[in-house]
Amino acid sequence: MQRPVSERATVWVQRFRAARWWPSAATLVVAELGLGAALLVPITFSDPNGVDPYVARLSIASVLIALPSLFVRRLAPARAILLALAAVATTYTLLSAGPQILFDLFGARSGSFDEQVFWASVAQAVGTLLIALAAWRTVAPEWRPSVRLGRLGLGGLAAGVIGTALLIGVALALPAGLLGRVALQPVAVGRDFPYLGPANALQAFAQEVQFRGLLLGALERTMSPRWANVSQAAVFALAHLAISYGGPEAPFVPITFLVGLAFGWLVRRTNSLWPAVIVHAAADIALQFGVVQGLYGF
Amino acid sequence: MGSEHRRSTIGAVAATCVALTVLAAGAITARAATPWWTPVGLRGMSITGVSAIGDTITVRTAGGTTLESTDAGKTFAPVPGNPALPPTGTVISGQQSWHIDSSGRILHATNLADRNAGPLPDPGAPRLGPGADLIAAPAAFSGVVVAVGTDGTVWRRGQDGDWKQALLLLPRSLVQGVPRVTSVTAFTQPLSGAIYVGTDGYAVLISTDGGDDWIRAGPGLPDAVYALSADSGRRAVYAGTSDGLWMHALQALPQPQSYQDAALVWRWIGIGAVTIVAAALTLFAMLQLMPRRVSDPTS
Repeated sequence: MQRPVSERATVWVQRFRAARWWPSAATLVVAELGLGAALLVPITFSDPNGVDPYVARLSIASVLIALPSLFVRRLAPARAILLALAAVATTYTLLSAGPQILFDLFGARSGSFDEQVFWASVAQAVGTLLIALAAWRTVAPEWRPSVRLGRLGLGGLAAGVIGTALLIGVALALPAGLLGRVALQPVAVGRDFPYLGPANALQAFAQEVQFRGLLLGALERTMSPRWANVSQAAVFALAHLAISYGGPEAPFVPITFLVGLAFGWLVRRTNSLWPAVIVHAAADIALQFGVVQGLYGF
Repeated sequence: MGSEHRRSTIGAVAATCVALTVLAAGAITARAATPWWTPVGLRGMSITGVSAIGDTITVRTAGGTTLESTDAGKTFAPVPGNPALPPTGTVISGQQSWHIDSSGRILHATNLADRNAGPLPDPGAPRLGPGADLIAAPAAFSGVVVAVGTDGTVWRRGQDGDWKQALLLLPRSLVQGVPRVTSVTAFTQPLSGAIYVGTDGYAVLISTDGGDDWIRAGPGLPDAVYALSADSGRRAVYAGTSDGLWMHALQALPQPQSYQDAALVWRWIGIGAVTIVAAALTLFAMLQLMPRRVSDPTS
């Protein structure tokens, strides 16, 4: 016997909801598990930071996972998220290996280390935009991420400025030892700022496109705004785990989770990526010049 | 696959992910916490002055007692007469010397062998303020000097004689002030170009390039460091802290291991295999968890 229309509708809504958000959640969790394994399991039998300081293993794993989603229809719902994760990993490798690559290619003509970092940051930003373009062209409209690069506006600008002031206030309020923001180094600031200031801004731009543009934009298509934001912030936090020699960035994970949440909220609130780019750039520049590195990195 | 089953699967995967992260972070952090400083003795005592030459270490406690060890810190005994430690404010590097006078000017003698060669005010040197007496010069970098003003600013003199602000400490938090720079030292033999700055809130900071760039180098050490002394003979730096006397044996800064032998190939093979297996398992799990049909309300 055929069920009443109302009952069928209820069943359909449940199925539809389940089918819409579970694939995203599954993609994110499983992909993070796989990438985490590729990053961390080698620690048990090797010294991956010494052998693979640019985390090429993470980039290769992310590409191996993302590429099939372009061809396997069943993985289509995961495509935007996997491309976002690939953007994070591959462009980080590009950024960290960039100075060495430039030196190998051009020798002394590649300039100072600061110049090399600047050009590596340009490469990271360009690489991120190319992957964003690929996502735009290959992801179906119903899953296509909203990158929100189109508008800023006075409200967005004000939000960026206020957010920057708030972030600096919070950074000063937190115990200095927690962040390592113990001193300014005027000689180093004067020497490094012309290249590393813009380089940090470019890195912040690239990361915002990756996390709040591609990833949050993709998750929002299937999850509630709150869960989408929590999810991208969790990935943002985990991305800061153990990428330097000795793993000193681990203490940053909880902080970056909260910062990621705030950036996600800001992007959603202003419907623009640019306020978060402004605050993130200011934060990265402050970290570059206000944090004194420790023996083992951060 | 049912919705409940999917949820439990995802929950298990998520829990594994978190556990893996915590385990890895713990393992890595433990390695990063390898002691750079080791305790020598006098734990529980506040040490405000240190002077170390060979096996003889003399310390001054916050209570005003001078103690001496002649067995490299194993035992300490009070010094008869309770003398103060030798005054600071003068540093000799090769044939040159720098001295902070009572008004805070830095005087430079360019040739100690020539009595007519100074000391004269060092051109471009900052006024450190009356009472300033913290100054050090690593013998490994001729002409490099680091001096501390009474306002806490750390200045450095480059090898070209150019003085610049090198370090400005920031407040500990909104309610806590800026820590004091309590001490500065460097090796008077050309063992290392490192310059060590002690603070009473941020432990010890090191510069290995003549004061341009600094790193925090206090893992294991109490935050409050009141005195530093570099002993070239024992290739060690001693730190008087709020919790006794500590020592740092001169060593290279931690750096990633460099592999050039066959082990490198096997390490890459292992890492590559893990990468491929991790990616394959991820794809397999994803295919299992993905809905067989793309959600379509009309299907």
